[in-house]
Amino acid sequence: MSSQARGKLAFRFILPAFICMLFVHIVPIFLGAYLAFIDLDIYTITQWIRAPFVGLKNFIDVFSVRTDVGIRYLRSIWNVVYFGLITIPAGYVIGLLVALLLNRKFFGRTLVRSLILLPYITPDSVAYNVWRFIFQARIGIVNKYLLALGLINEPILWLVGDRAIYAVMIASVWKGWPFACLILLAGLQNIPQELYEAARIDGASSFALFRFITFPMLRPVSATLLLLSAIWNFHAFNQFYILLGTDPGKAHVPSTFILQEAFTNLHLSKGAAMSVFLTLVVLLMTVVMLRLRRGEGE
Amino acid sequence: MKGKGLRIILGKILFIFALFVVLAGVLIPYFWMVSGSFKTTLEIQSADVLKPDLSPRWIPRRFTWENYLRVNRTVRMLDYFRNSLIISVGTMLFSIGISLFAAYALSRFDFRWKKTYILATLSTQMFPGISFLIPYFMMFVLARYYLKVPMQNTYWGMVFTYTSFALPFSVLMLRNFLDSIPREIDEQAQIDGCTPGGALWRVILPLAKPGIAAVGIYSFIMAWNEVLFATVLTGRETKTVALGLLEYITAQQARWAGMMAACIIVSIPVLVLFSLMQRYIIEGLVAGATKG
Repeated sequence: MSSQARGKLAFRFILPAFICMLFVHIVPIFLGAYLAFIDLDIYTITQWIRAPFVGLKNFIDVFSVRTDVGIRYLRSIWNVVYFGLITIPAGYVIGLLVALLLNRKFFGRTLVRSLILLPYITPDSVAYNVWRFIFQARIGIVNKYLLALGLINEPILWLVGDRAIYAVMIASVWKGWPFACLILLAGLQNIPQELYEAARIDGASSFALFRFITFPMLRPVSATLLLLSAIWNFHAFNQFYILLGTDPGKAHVPSTFILQEAFTNLHLSKGAAMSVFLTLVVLLMTVVMLRLRRGEGE
Repeated sequence: MKGKGLRIILGKILFIFALFVVLAGVLIPYFWMVSGSFKTTLEIQSADVLKPDLSPRWIPRRFTWENYLRVNRTVRMLDYFRNSLIISVGTMLFSIGISLFAAYALSRFDFRWKKTYILATLSTQMFPGISFLIPYFMMFVLARYYLKVPMQNTYWGMVFTYTSFALPFSVLMLRNFLDSIPREIDEQAQIDGCTPGGALWRVILPLAKPGIAAVGIYSFIMAWNEVLFATVLTGRETKTVALGLLEYITAQQARWAGMMAACIIVSIPVLVLFSLMQRYIIEGLVAGATKG
């Protein structure tokens, strides 16, 4: 077959997948960028062609410290960054420790490995609803044990106000670390055993083995894992929406806040402007990641 | 010599203790879920951490099957279950069909925009759903307005949406799988007179069964679990289980016992499917993060 014919055939094979990508990813990205520059709400949606062009007004509104939406949006961005700064290192450290623990042969290892994957494969809606139950003030077990240990004197309201984000962090780390563990375990198993044997013959301590062999050898996997987690951190939605409800108040993250602004307050264009900013941040991080990866590969 | 033996035993005890802590941390929420699902609503509602005799307990005071037997009483859970099944199975079938062709093309053909396409596919995985949701919702509204095609609150609208979500990962995973099948096999089939499509159907398809199953299960689970788009695009007739669970808690009443029973029922299909294909899905995930 000529290369031109093969190209045509390949095109036909890929076409259905490409159409899906076109309608669900590509067109919405550009339509969203357009929406961010016009004034549109849910009632005028069908008159979108005649909607007035307002330039940067939506962006100025959502980044202004003088409008209510601006203050709350900026806070939601800070929340998601803060959320990532705590949950990503926490998930990584727990994942690494458990991966080191499981990276040896013992009776029942396969079973243990399947069990620790449970949080990762449990549906978000199930896992976070259970955590919501656990964190209930009067009927939950968190307060029960904190009271029993004498750490608090009265039940704490975990899911409202300033504490809410920490409750979400705990549930998220619980759900997220097995993924880190899985990746790191695969990384550990790729380290040649000869390195350890050679170092042991030279009399290296266990700590030295970790410090000078394990950790450096895990570097590429760790870098990818942490960068991916940093990017996916901006996807944070389910845990906030399920644990805290449709209005997380002070604990909004961009996804929950945009959803509320666009579909409860019906300000589609403001929501679109906020989404466009989020898209740009993620795009920038993806480019950085691809650059770093290329640098490591060569 | 004696000191060394003691150290090994101590190390073993420490190891088992660490393992125990990890497993307890993982499993405690599940124990709480199972325990809650067998309690009576009255027991949970009257619980109070401040009163020792009413403090929430691990073992139900009165064991009941009620929450399972009457799962459909307050929340229309069985309807949501049916909706989720239809949407997830639809997503699974379309995702398998579409990704198989795309993955075959990526694995066996060389063409000019191959790298661009792979890069675009990878990038779509990076953007958060909220980046697409508002314009996508608008496209649904406009499809109804201009083309008179209802999309919102329809099964096929959701199947199309979730298929598109599942495709990037499915295509890349299946391509890795097909790459591991030697090219000579389908070249031989083509020499024997098969068209490339025929080779895919008669030779590659049977060999790629594990990969196809993994992709199908991944797609099913994705559609079963999705929340964000479902909140906006589904309605009374198409609401999925992920959203249905939230209905147990309303401003008037908190039915935790019913919700825990529903949580277990909702988890079962996912856990069963995942354990069937655990190895392949995990291999795909790990390869995605380590090789790219």
